[in-house]
Amino acid sequence: MTWTDFSEWLPQLLVAAGGTLKMSVLAFTLAVFAGLLIALARTSRRRAVSAVATCYVELIRGTPALTQLFLIYFGLASAGVILPAFTAAVVGLGLNYAAYMSEVYRAGIAAVHRGQREAALAIGMTNALAMRNIILPQAVRIVVPPMANYAVSLLKDTSVASLISAPELMLRARDLSSEYFMPMELYVLAGVMYLVMAYPLAKGARYLELRMGQGRIAS
Amino acid sequence: MSGGPWERFAAQFPELLDTLLLGVEMTVIVTFGGFVVAMVLGMAGALLRNARMVPIRMLGTLYVDVFRSVPVLTQLFIIYFGLAELGVKLDPIPAAIIGFGINGGAYLTEVFRAGIEAIHRGQNEAALAIGMTRAQALRVIVLPQAVRVVLPPLGNFAIGLLKDTSVASSVAAPELSFRAHMLVDQTYLSTQIYLTVAALYLAMSLPLAYGVRKLERRMARGRLA
Repeated sequence: MTWTDFSEWLPQLLVAAGGTLKMSVLAFTLAVFAGLLIALARTSRRRAVSAVATCYVELIRGTPALTQLFLIYFGLASAGVILPAFTAAVVGLGLNYAAYMSEVYRAGIAAVHRGQREAALAIGMTNALAMRNIILPQAVRIVVPPMANYAVSLLKDTSVASLISAPELMLRARDLSSEYFMPMELYVLAGVMYLVMAYPLAKGARYLELRMGQGRIAS
Repeated sequence: MSGGPWERFAAQFPELLDTLLLGVEMTVIVTFGGFVVAMVLGMAGALLRNARMVPIRMLGTLYVDVFRSVPVLTQLFIIYFGLAELGVKLDPIPAAIIGFGINGGAYLTEVFRAGIEAIHRGQNEAALAIGMTRAQALRVIVLPQAVRVVLPPLGNFAIGLLKDTSVASSVAAPELSFRAHMLVDQTYLSTQIYLTVAALYLAMSLPLAYGVRKLERRMARGRLA
């Protein structure tokens, strides 16, 4: 690897890392909201609703994200629904992480003492009000640290989207490596860029864990 | 060949399944191999992170931080394509086992460390007080208690690894996902084949998940606070 190579690669890889970040943020946002819907569906008193939600979580968590991406990208295309690779990756990873996120919410809701809910209902709140005003605000501090950890995993898992040729860091590194025949240099460089993105995020997650763990009342 | 994709799929199902089952076998081999390597490296890593000498401890931390911050796909590419450039040509299967092993070892280092730390320090102190060496205290007193803390996360790691091995298809390891891509290239039955693949992964991961849940409940019971 010469300096010229490096100076040619770096801007391209940086742009691609931007794609990785964009994909991560969009997929994470989708996962946060879809995950909440799934978690609420699982607490539903209607059996059919909670059963569907439970099935969704089990099916998604039991299969690789890669298989899900292929189903969304190639499978839907064969049925006439042609998504751009980037969109397919955001939808696929978002819906995948939504299943994990819903479990985080569920644990968070379960961790709030039942007496809180009962008291809210006793003073005349509806179920929905109790959930929104009493339970969720307390569940947030339990939920945020694991969510942050999933954000780190998601950032790394976007690399898998390169296998459906979604524009992100690994895809660019692969393209460059087939052009320059220097896979070691390029993949190590890509690895360093992932490290630079993921490591501070992981440290932040760790900080949140310590911070939010403080002053929690044991239930 | 006539009829819709589902009819074609039904007609070819036995042969397709035969090929996919070959892939399942390889998926199990890669998962198992990666798991064993990760166990060994994880224990070594936990010992490093537990060492009294600061530079050795830092080495352990470096291992964990670096390999957990880089996608496993990138690590596989470095091991398979990168090393080949330097003249070290590995076959896809060993490359995948090494890659998943090194990556997993970083995660298991933390699992083992948490297991050791979960045991009350008094246990270790008491063991030292009655004249055991540090190594003896670790082996006879701390580790047997740490095992029950560590088993459930180990199970979850195995499930994650099983699914992650699908990524090895990108270095042409002939596991389930790779076989599926080949079949899709030949038949264009993407939906049907990938759904079958999903079902096969489920058939492997659901029993594992069930076992882990049972283990979690068993281990939680009768543990001292």
